[in-house]
Amino acid sequence: MTRIHAAIVGLALLASGGAAAAHHSFAAEYDANKPVTLKGTVTKVEWMNPHARFYVDVKDEKGVVTNWNLELASPNVLTRNGWKRNSLTIGDEVTIEGSAAKDGSKMANARVVKLADGRQVFAGSSGGDAPPPARP
Amino acid sequence: MMRTTTLALALAVGALVVASAQQTPPAPTSPAGAGGLNRGPAIPQGPAPRLPNGKVDFGGVWQGGGPVGDIRMGLAKGETIPIRPEWQAIMDKRMSKEDPEANCLPTGVPRRDPYPWRILQTDTHTSFLFEGNIHSYRQIFMNGKHPDDPDPTWYGHSIGRWEGDTLVVDTVGFNDRTWFDFIGHPHSDKLHTIERYTRTNLGTMTIETTVEDPVVYTRPFKITFTARLRPGEELMEYICNENNNWVGNITGPAKDF
Repeated sequence: MTRIHAAIVGLALLASGGAAAAHHSFAAEYDANKPVTLKGTVTKVEWMNPHARFYVDVKDEKGVVTNWNLELASPNVLTRNGWKRNSLTIGDEVTIEGSAAKDGSKMANARVVKLADGRQVFAGSSGGDAPPPARP
Repeated sequence: MMRTTTLALALAVGALVVASAQQTPPAPTSPAGAGGLNRGPAIPQGPAPRLPNGKVDFGGVWQGGGPVGDIRMGLAKGETIPIRPEWQAIMDKRMSKEDPEANCLPTGVPRRDPYPWRILQTDTHTSFLFEGNIHSYRQIFMNGKHPDDPDPTWYGHSIGRWEGDTLVVDTVGFNDRTWFDFIGHPHSDKLHTIERYTRTNLGTMTIETTVEDPVVYTRPFKITFTARLRPGEELMEYICNENNNWVGNITGPAKDF
């Protein structure tokens, strides 16, 4: 299943010009040239359509906490890639690499999500132009 | 352990996305090995299956088969899309947040989306069940007749007939609300599509669509896309409207895709 699916995701990438798992244009919402790295604590997980999302409290150097909204692929795409609704849970300490929203809101498309011990979860981003995570 | 396994799966996906982006045919897969990176069946080989009545059996779960990002990707090499300048101007002003697909409305025809779909075939009806966007269906009336004055609808009124092993689907009665792709190629309610579905082998289906819309395009044009079988796959629930609360944050023009 995985290999077939992967090949098909690749074909979908070709067909769509980049948005493998999204129901809208990635480039219209997120800026691939505005990479962000966020570190914080998961406060909420929405395993819902059209995109799974999770929220993270990020503390800046002055101690001010901002809640970020991180977009993933749809639950179905994530499920087919092997993730589960509880792969990430409230309280997890995570580091996220992604692309920030063009409109300047505290939103980003999460490309890489790393747990405190270095394990990666949710590699199925909704932004097809995001490179796959590096091999460990 | 679970996370280790899933990470391996995700890496396999990433690696294969890169591999398939180079348009290399998928190699037959080996049994689980290399940390489980090569699991899963290959795209099946062999001739297209047939029903007891001798017709080609299109049944199964498929992926792709139509434009997602840009309909021009389906044109023959060297072809251009014959859009009228005044409609090009309309298209250029479209914003991605207005895309019906981004608003959980149907794709219409011939647009597809990155979600799997299933074909169900009987003597009287051919039905497409779409998992995503939206969780909906098309019905094709075999050897049917278009109504004289159909009400405009998202998927139009479709009749099907066989030309040899090719299923030909003729559709009229569209509304003018869908876009052909992410970048907003438009059409009017005078749209008429003729789709030709050919299962070229067990795992592959070619869909060639003639698009006629004299209001928006100066002449009919043809696009061709390929759908791939997803053996062993089942459709899952996908209710796009469940939590589509951030569509307003999509700020870019559709053409920027």
